[in-house]
Amino acid sequence: MPAPPIREVLLTEERIQKRVRELAGEISTAYAGRDLVLVTVLKGGLYFLADLTRALDIPVTIDFMAISSYRGGKGPSGVVRLIKDLDEEITGRHVLLVEDIIDTGLTASYLMRALRARDPADLAICTLLERTARRIAEGLPIRYRGFEIPDAFVVGYGLDHRQLYRNLPYIGVLADHALRAERAASTEAG
Amino acid sequence: MAQPPDVRFAHSSEAELARILDFYGIRWEYEPRSFPLEWDEGGRVVESFSPDFYLPDFDLYLELTTLKQSLVTKKNRKLRRMRELYPDVRVKIFYGRDFRNLLTKYDLIPAATR
Repeated sequence: MPAPPIREVLLTEERIQKRVRELAGEISTAYAGRDLVLVTVLKGGLYFLADLTRALDIPVTIDFMAISSYRGGKGPSGVVRLIKDLDEEITGRHVLLVEDIIDTGLTASYLMRALRARDPADLAICTLLERTARRIAEGLPIRYRGFEIPDAFVVGYGLDHRQLYRNLPYIGVLADHALRAERAASTEAG
Repeated sequence: MAQPPDVRFAHSSEAELARILDFYGIRWEYEPRSFPLEWDEGGRVVESFSPDFYLPDFDLYLELTTLKQSLVTKKNRKLRRMRELYPDVRVKIFYGRDFRNLLTKYDLIPAATR
């Protein structure tokens, strides 16, 4: 298998796992005795949720959502919609939205509105990565954060580029040549 | 909020951002306010700053700037002045790299230059 086009490893597997265990410890303490539902968004949050929940020492319920992606001029955009809704009822329960990354905050803002409308007892966010440089949606209730990262295109540990590299156990910065090649191809195709 | 049909954007990057905001149900206004920055001796406004977007849900102004360094430098200077004069107004600049990375995230062609 060819090596992924990674310019540098931003967060090693060891560093990620250590931080995930720390977050799990904080969550286990804070939510002890609570009816906690951890919700993640497919597909990016998959690995973080899996590792986080296995490091918790309290009973929790997990659930998943999926939403449509913005496609610009490439397809029918309309407005964001749920492709997969929760299976669990969350009214009156404690809900933690588990995200791979909060960037502009637009996705999280939409999800928070959708979840809040169901009247949970408590609703907050646990994100592995946060990048504040491009934040548009301010005021998100980010209660747990793994790492603040710089403005670079990162992949791995759930994060993709054109659906690739999610399965890397670390988080790396995608090489410029990979992005340049894609932009050139897009321009020619367009 | 759907994009008002009579809005004429100065640049395609602004139209793209408006579509992204529409997609996520974020209300926006296009260049709704001009902030005076400099006045002449007669009190007439000689320089002002009109951020591209206002997002009422977040009480936030957004300005897009893209590739030309001369424009970036000028806008940075205006932004500094604006923050001095209007410290309570929240404004954020999206630089070219920010916007290109945002478009790349959505798998779109980063065409924004001005």
